[in-house]
Amino acid sequence: MLKAIRRFFGEKASGQVARKRMQVVLMHDRLDLTPDVMESLKNDILAVLSRYMEIDDQTIRVDLEQGKEYTALVSNVIIKRVYRAGVNLPEIPLPR
Amino acid sequence: MAGKVIVVTSGKGGVGKTTTVANIGTTLAKKKYNVVLVDGDIGLRNLDVVMGVENRIVYNLVDIIEGKCRKEQAMIRDRKLNNLFIIPSAQTRDKDSVQPEQMKQLCEELAKEFDFVLIDCPAGIEQGFRNAIAGAAAAVVVTTPEVSAIRDADRVIGLLEASLLKEIHLIVNRLNQRMVKKGDMMSTEDIVSLLAVPLLGVVPESEEVVISTNRGVPLVHERGSKAGQAFQLIAARLQGENIPVDMGNNGSFLGRMKRLIWNS
Ligand SMILES: Nc1ncnc2c1ncn2[C@@H]1O[C@H](COP(=O)(O)OP(=O)(O)OP(=O)(O)O)[C@@H](O)[C@H]1O
Ligand SMILES: [Mg+2]
Repeated sequence: MLKAIRRFFGEKASGQVARKRMQVVLMHDRLDLTPDVMESLKNDILAVLSRYMEIDDQTIRVDLEQGKEYTALVSNVIIKRVYRAGVNLPEIPLPR
Repeated sequence: MAGKVIVVTSGKGGVGKTTTVANIGTTLAKKKYNVVLVDGDIGLRNLDVVMGVENRIVYNLVDIIEGKCRKEQAMIRDRKLNNLFIIPSAQTRDKDSVQPEQMKQLCEELAKEFDFVLIDCPAGIEQGFRNAIAGAAAAVVVTTPEVSAIRDADRVIGLLEASLLKEIHLIVNRLNQRMVKKGDMMSTEDIVSLLAVPLLGVVPESEEVVISTNRGVPLVHERGSKAGQAFQLIAARLQGENIPVDMGNNGSFLGRMKRLIWNS
């Protein structure tokens, strides 16, 4: 009964919670995003972004996010300065 | 024509591999196929007690592989079915006493004489697992509707695919319909969509399984047992019959409404 009330106020059924958690966990397991891989993914993203803007490379975060119908790779990074179009684009080679 | 070698595996321990091997094997034998069950769990022998033949062991799997006996000498005939055999594992040996190549060779030889060779795989993903899958053409992955079992099943499926084992089936064991209806257990659909492997069948959580294991008589010998029927259907599908799977949760209208409200 108590559970029914809690659910009425928005608590999800545990089966559904389990399913959501498993979606994320299995995605991580399958991608096998080891700290090494994560690190090189971050560096690659940073290299690409810094062709267009000056960024604070200490702030970058890369996470997997589970939506209802999708799994997203979400990266957040703080921009320090955007270059004016066509001006001052630094020649940083793309990785690989 | 050579028989089919099928490994029953799971990753996580205690989810029902041995129970599955015993019941599928017995069903196939009742349908007049020649069947041999191989206990691949070296060091933790179990299939013999589940099949009720523990008192008749002379030689074991490792003895065959080391050439201490012919394979016929290690095969124990089932108590009821004379076309069903069990090769017990060694109880006091290490998993490393067998190499994948040797297992593969044994499976090939067995497949010449039997229609079905079922291998009971140990839990885990180490040497014992690699031995058990080495000679298999198909795999049956058993899971329960719990997060740890599902995660391990996913890992095992990845390893099976990596070892180029193409035919992979899924069994969901110990499903508790009451809990699924309440929303407190992942449904079969949830599990199938997470693991993305074709479903061979669903076995309900059942006291009958424990009772039949106590007696050492596989459940499929019993008439009117729900879990036994589930195993019979699984065996039929494995052998190629096209029988649709009952997901085991077509609840009442009220139950569906409740779920709709709760899950939204
Ligand atoms: N559907 C079921 N309902 C109730 N109990 C079950 C069911 N399936 C299996 N069991 C019980 O769960 C226990 C483990 O089953 P089993 O030995 O078949 O698992 P296993 O995967 O072979 O284990 P291990 O990894 O140790 O080899 C046994 O006691 C068995 O009776
Ligand atoms: Mg077992």
